[in-house]
Amino acid sequence: MKAAVLRELNKPLEIEEVSISKPGPREVLVRPIAAGVCHSDLHFLDGSYPYPLPTILGHESAGIVEEVGSSVTYVKKGDHVITCLSAFCGHCDKCLTGRLSLCQSPEVSRAPEDEPRMKKGDETIHQFLNLSSFAELMLIHEHALVKIKEEMPMDRAALIGCSTTTGVGAVFHTAKVEPGSKVAVIGCGGVGLAAINGAAIAGAGMVIAVDMMDSKLDIAKSLGATHTINASQGNAVGEIIELTKGGCDYTFEAIGLKSTTEQAWQMLGAGGTATVIGMIPVGTMVELHGVDFLSEKKIQGSNMGSNRFRVDMPRFVDFYLEGRLHLDQMISQHIKLEEVNNALNALKTGEEARHIIMFEE
Amino acid sequence: MSTTEIPSEVTGRVWKIVLDPGAKVDEGDPILILESMKMEIPVEAPCKGIVTEICVAEGDAIVEDQIIAILEN
Repeated sequence: MKAAVLRELNKPLEIEEVSISKPGPREVLVRPIAAGVCHSDLHFLDGSYPYPLPTILGHESAGIVEEVGSSVTYVKKGDHVITCLSAFCGHCDKCLTGRLSLCQSPEVSRAPEDEPRMKKGDETIHQFLNLSSFAELMLIHEHALVKIKEEMPMDRAALIGCSTTTGVGAVFHTAKVEPGSKVAVIGCGGVGLAAINGAAIAGAGMVIAVDMMDSKLDIAKSLGATHTINASQGNAVGEIIELTKGGCDYTFEAIGLKSTTEQAWQMLGAGGTATVIGMIPVGTMVELHGVDFLSEKKIQGSNMGSNRFRVDMPRFVDFYLEGRLHLDQMISQHIKLEEVNNALNALKTGEEARHIIMFEE
Repeated sequence: MSTTEIPSEVTGRVWKIVLDPGAKVDEGDPILILESMKMEIPVEAPCKGIVTEICVAEGDAIVEDQIIAILEN
């Protein structure tokens, strides 16, 4: 199969022929139809999150089941699915207490002594986050996918595989935003825009979008932002404190920087909760003013929107089909696999929402 | 001769030990691979040297700052 392989940090992905193993008993071979190029891929491309190389990036996709392992009963050949990196074992303490996105069981991967899922000759190609969707085929654990309605367009479905679930899930599950509350979202990339849309669906009274690009703030308005702040033109924290008359009930950091995480904390009113969605580089420390704890402010992380994706993703599909989840504006371009490096470069400038790789059906 | 202790930057689990004690390494060579929140995270040699000790076993749970390997350089 053809795949975009990352062999060296900060170098373009190389389009190569890679071989893929046969499905084991609990594995599923998926033919991706659409794969989103996500800002998180950049964190691994630039080494701010180290990963074994060579690998095939990509973790936001939708496709069609091609073949299933002998023990798989949940899906069959031809089913339409969304893949998800939150592969769950189903029987650890995290899974059994409903926190499937925190499952760390190794059994959803192949063991080090097993044949790798992907190879080039004798060389192991490391699977990225149990998925690797910048490839014509994906071999994944059966608990890394969810069936969806066939009427759902695949390019929109792919977005639900990561950015939508991460942003909307952070609002619904991690923060549990209440109707009428005051919300600010810092960063209007795919995840931040999803959080804005999620806050609107949750009934937030005020949804403030913060970014440095007017073009993204315009998209944020179309997704439900009631106010926008261009952070390049002033003091975003001060503006939000004034706008909300004392600070937000909920803030969301959707970039992954120390400075914006600290701002998310500073934008809170008494009793407010900051949720950090962005991937802060390994080794970075965050500083908070200790006296603020007296006002019962809270700060928390959110991984993949604290999802229970087999429940959440079909609901998000329905939200889209009902016109409540606005995914159309999130896609800036459809591209071919060979154009993936252009999409990654575009993400670095921060000017466009999302490129979607479309594979031939 | 001096020794360099290599700490883990994350809490997670040892997925695969790539090199055994006695192996010669250059800066950047992966010594072992950790798994944390579905990510495989390589632990690389910070300098040229010889691996004198791997302080963990495959499958071990590890915490941030725990010493996981020692190099002689």
